[in-house]
Amino acid sequence: MQTRRLTLCGLLTALAIVLSLAERLFPLDAVVPVPGAKLGLANVVVMFALTYLRPREALAILLGRVTLSALLMGSVTAFLFSLMGGLLSLGVMCLLLRVEGRFCSLLGVSVAGAAAHHIGQIAAAVVWMKTSAVIAYLPLLLLLSVPLGLITGLTCAAALTHMKKINFGV
Amino acid sequence: MRAKLKWGDLVIIGEVLLLAAVLSAALARQAVGGQLYAEVWQDGALVERVALTEQTDRVIELDGHNTIVLQGKTAVIQSADCHDQVCVRTGTLTRAGQVAVCLPNRVVLRLVGERNEVDAIAS
Amino acid sequence: MKRIVAALVPLLLMCGCAPKSYKTDFFAMDTFMSVIVQGEQAEQTAQQCERRIAELEQALSRTREDSEIWQLNHAAGEAAAMPTAGGALLTAMEYARLTDGLYDPTVARLSDLWAIGTENARVPAQDEIDEALQGVGVDKLTAEQGNTFALRGGAQIDLGGIAKGIAADECAAILRQRGNDGLLVLGGNIYAVGANEGEDWVIGIADPENSADYIATLGVQDQSVVTSGDYERFFEQDGRRYHHIFDPRTGYPAQSGLRSVTVIDADSTRADALTTALFVMGLDKGMAFCVENEVAAVFVTSDKLVYTTPRVDEVCRFLLTGGEKGYTHAR
Repeated sequence: MQTRRLTLCGLLTALAIVLSLAERLFPLDAVVPVPGAKLGLANVVVMFALTYLRPREALAILLGRVTLSALLMGSVTAFLFSLMGGLLSLGVMCLLLRVEGRFCSLLGVSVAGAAAHHIGQIAAAVVWMKTSAVIAYLPLLLLLSVPLGLITGLTCAAALTHMKKINFGV
Repeated sequence: MRAKLKWGDLVIIGEVLLLAAVLSAALARQAVGGQLYAEVWQDGALVERVALTEQTDRVIELDGHNTIVLQGKTAVIQSADCHDQVCVRTGTLTRAGQVAVCLPNRVVLRLVGERNEVDAIAS
Repeated sequence: MKRIVAALVPLLLMCGCAPKSYKTDFFAMDTFMSVIVQGEQAEQTAQQCERRIAELEQALSRTREDSEIWQLNHAAGEAAAMPTAGGALLTAMEYARLTDGLYDPTVARLSDLWAIGTENARVPAQDEIDEALQGVGVDKLTAEQGNTFALRGGAQIDLGGIAKGIAADECAAILRQRGNDGLLVLGGNIYAVGANEGEDWVIGIADPENSADYIATLGVQDQSVVTSGDYERFFEQDGRRYHHIFDPRTGYPAQSGLRSVTVIDADSTRADALTTALFVMGLDKGMAFCVENEVAAVFVTSDKLVYTTPRVDEVCRFLLTGGEKGYTHAR
């Protein structure tokens, strides 16, 4: 059982990194000049980990993804902003998952997670660049987080259903 | 399928959109140049602050010492009884942050607005 | 409950954005001054600056009868003690030496004669000018022991050329010491202390044709910007303009083909003294002086040409904006 978990974590981390790399095909940096501004597709992995595994494992995957991504291709600032966004996103999703089922579904959780990710990134940028000018990009990012969050939510749910079907328990 | 839409999802989505809208509105208010005002100070006290619009057409006389003309979105010390006439020579003020000063009469005419293009002018 | 927390988070994040800033204006040293201070205890810092400026004015003023300089000017050759003004006098002498006398704290006799900026402004007769020139020359100021000074030959001291620079330097030091950033606008003498919320302070160089407008901008941090020009204090007679920057060699207002000179330096006193001297020197000698002494300066000529010295690009971001008014950046 332990080995399964560990392997899954490793796989998920790798998947998250690949997704991060893939996201670079859509360089949000060009439209929104915040280093590390991303579509947030890699979030689906963290979300899946939260639902399928335990929060601490999700955290480990997040940290792994952010660190390795930054080492592979990012800048220090991108790393910091990603980290802040990722942590805030993780925290929010963790909290919301407690009421998932009763209050909201995975869709709401992932939308909130996507929004939190962007808020965390912008907040880190404001502190780092010592200017509140970057907040101007937040409305657009928040708008984007709704459709993108819905997509990641659906993806996550689909993955969970499939895991159940093939009886892959950990 | 744990992704069936529930009312909580709508609440969350609504909140995110609301936040986006509120931020947009706040930022929009800041960005558009803002209202331009002409301030007339004498002896360290504010005599008058006039909002300048295209229709502004006023003359302010200060005790016969300085005559200030506000026309459209501009302000100028048109005439003064001081000997150096520096205030008159300064010319017409058109942008926020510009100042015309009459030292002998301790009169200051300045344009204030939300966005200053320069923080000060060295002259 | 958790929803409320989630909603509050973005609001909290936006709270740290408004900076503390204090602004005040006042008249001092015969000019209009404006002080902006940012950061903690901004108001107290600004008040301390205002007090210091008043103290300096008290010591350095030429017109106040109880000032040290007034004592020196009326001592009829006797030595007078200059506890506060002594440093300023030594600095003045140093810059006079550096600029071969083109900055001269003893031009007071000429200023009085021409009376530019007063009702009595006129073109004096040549013999009047010659007589006044007898009392001009920094060699007539001597430093004696123990911070006392003496004037010979009827010379008179006017520290107007560096007083605001000294005030700016001292106030900038007060701001730095108290951990504040800010903008000091002391008449035409500007000091940008630190940064403007992380960005450059933007200072405009006045358009000689319309001094409320500007023809170029300088993006600076921790630098002083001082300008001397022929367009603020002058009078015109028979189609000629007589301004207040005298050439100590001839006794006439300097006719060097320049409309203004702006110096950018972290030492405001230096900038203040040099703008006067460079204006008198003219473009060619002025540029040469700047290259040799690593001075950042902007020269505006009567042909609407704007020259910048090499050091300008090292200390600020220069941008010419007066293109539509016919100004060009010459290299």
